[in-house]
Amino acid sequence: MANVIVPIGPHHPALKEPVNFRIVADGERIVRLELDLSYNHRGIEKAAEQRDFIRVLPLLERVCGICSHSHSTVFVKGIEEIMELEIPPRARFIRTIIAELERMHSHLLWLGVAAHEVGFNTLFMWTWRDREAVQDTLEEMSGNRVHYGMNEVGGIRRDLTPSEVNAALARLPHLEERIREYAKMVNDQETLLIRFKGVGKLSRDEALAYGAVGPTARASGVDYDIRRDDPYLAYTEVPWNVVTDTSGDVYGRTRVRIGELQESIRIVRYCLENLPEGPVRVNAPKTAPMGEILSRYEAPRGELAHFIRTNGTDKVERVDIRTPTLANWTSVALCLVNQNLADIPVIVAAIDPCLSCTSRITVVNSKKRTTGIVTFDELRKQSHLRASMQERR
Amino acid sequence: MKPLLTRDFVAETMKEWGTAEQVRHNRIRITATPETVRTAITNARELLECDRLITISAVDNGKTLELVYHLTGPHRSVISIAIELPRDKPEVPTMSDLLPPAGIYERQIHDLLGIVFLGHPDLKRIMLNEDWPLEEYPLRKDWKKDPGTFYGGIPGERI
Amino acid sequence: MAVPVSSLSQRLVNWARQRSPWITLFNSGACNACDIEIIACLMPRFDIERFGILVKGSPRHADILIVTGHVTLKQASRLRRVWEQIPEPKYVIAMGACGASAGAFHGLYHVMDTVEQVIPVDIYVAGCPPRPDEIINGVVACLNLMSADAVHGGKEWRQKTSAGIPHTGGAPGVTR
Repeated sequence: MANVIVPIGPHHPALKEPVNFRIVADGERIVRLELDLSYNHRGIEKAAEQRDFIRVLPLLERVCGICSHSHSTVFVKGIEEIMELEIPPRARFIRTIIAELERMHSHLLWLGVAAHEVGFNTLFMWTWRDREAVQDTLEEMSGNRVHYGMNEVGGIRRDLTPSEVNAALARLPHLEERIREYAKMVNDQETLLIRFKGVGKLSRDEALAYGAVGPTARASGVDYDIRRDDPYLAYTEVPWNVVTDTSGDVYGRTRVRIGELQESIRIVRYCLENLPEGPVRVNAPKTAPMGEILSRYEAPRGELAHFIRTNGTDKVERVDIRTPTLANWTSVALCLVNQNLADIPVIVAAIDPCLSCTSRITVVNSKKRTTGIVTFDELRKQSHLRASMQERR
Repeated sequence: MKPLLTRDFVAETMKEWGTAEQVRHNRIRITATPETVRTAITNARELLECDRLITISAVDNGKTLELVYHLTGPHRSVISIAIELPRDKPEVPTMSDLLPPAGIYERQIHDLLGIVFLGHPDLKRIMLNEDWPLEEYPLRKDWKKDPGTFYGGIPGERI
Repeated sequence: MAVPVSSLSQRLVNWARQRSPWITLFNSGACNACDIEIIACLMPRFDIERFGILVKGSPRHADILIVTGHVTLKQASRLRRVWEQIPEPKYVIAMGACGASAGAFHGLYHVMDTVEQVIPVDIYVAGCPPRPDEIINGVVACLNLMSADAVHGGKEWRQKTSAGIPHTGGAPGVTR
């Protein structure tokens, strides 16, 4: 059977980021993958060396629009540890609240996008409508729907008033009920079950060997969660559980993310009800002593690591960012092999790629060297067609 | 979950390949050399049970280039193995056959800092665009953009 | 290119164009916050489809191109190519602080200075990222610009004054 190279260009409507796929397919089965990460590369790490600790935070926040609080928190907590600064408990709790709200909005976003990739647009509309409740809460607390700008070295920039706390608590019951509804839907709905079960399987040993992180790894039974293994912020003071699954396919990842949504609501509610009194910031010194730290954080997509080295001035010497999506790409390359072409959107979406944190993928291989061009739109249409064909059966 | 590794245990196990110090309650830093780093990592995988690579960080500290490999395992401690490379000939053997994720990180570091990983199967462009001139490594401290060179964008038009 | 605006068929075409503009999105290397806010515009809360707007994948089907993000060096030639594929009359909306001046990323080594260096821009929408309400405001301003252009028979009436500032003739809601 002839091998065909299917390049899917960087301009496409499905994923929010520019991605270039070049997949070599043997008929309908995928043979191999490759990587090219340069469409989103901006040079942030170099620019961060020239900005002091106040000016670097807006830049680092904008590494990614979905996990912006993650990048700024992991940097700030690394600098605070080098400076040996202890931030007040109220600041720690508020950072945790914003972190978990960000995780909620990211997982709801992912649920909608994954449903959209299989053609289930109703779920897409529903999850994004419910996500607006989380965005409203974040906007009341911080002033913006994304890029909250709440962190600074030494604590938080804004305090929470009692009315904001009560408004946030009032929104949680409705969200909880909606998420229970989605959990039931994922277990019962034929459309989702057919398209998610058995697709993109990653075994436990492969996940460990290829360095998968986050919900992708936890769905394969790998029990790593930085919030428990290397605790930071308020995670030792709040009761919560790590969610894992054993199936390792897209269905397992969906269940892990929905489980994490429910855990996040519990954490947010606990933190809002038990918010300690006190100041929200301490005065931080302008310069940091010489030091080196590997600061890790559990972003919505997995483990985020900033390697920071300071040199005694008010700027960093080096900040080296390792994003979770980069760690997950090798495993997606693995679980795409021998899958159908029409399943590509689902499998890629299942690791929740945040490509602006990383960059992109080119998939190439061929024995026969014939080329065909397919847009991602056409691929998604194929995937919807497959869904409707399976339903008719 | 297993207990964290202690500094003495790590120092004793790895004493042929580097010196160990405890930099944080769960992180131990080993200073090795480019010749011994491959055996150090193999032995860390077997003797210290470090089966995951977190990341490979690369730093240009003005005088030399440094590489730090961060490993972790079921004991949840982080073992950082640090080496230094000379600026004019930064070469080190690749780890991509021992730890599969290392392949991507090494390509990234090669693109941005110019460290050559000997034996890497596919060391080509990953982060910079295809028009970026060869031998220009943006993350080095002494690199500045040259106004006469074309770095990418629309050819023939002023950037 | 001036077309006689008084003919019935031309007036019909102009009316139809303003009632159902089709959009295509192009992410030129951004941090994705703007893209998510655009997708939030399509969702039940803000609902941009009530203006007759559809988000199409192919540039050949579109009237308006929305560019998010500061243009990275790699995306510059792709953006130019995509823009050339859109049939006239076409309009470009550059989103956010990044579209105007590369935002927080001004001066970085892999980033161009502004979208205007690659393609001509009609509307800039401010924000980082702009809220969905502001995006809808920008799209409505673009529709008003479309109708003003149709009255004048093209885009040439938007000449720059001697100071280099574009003169829009007082079209309402235009943010220039």
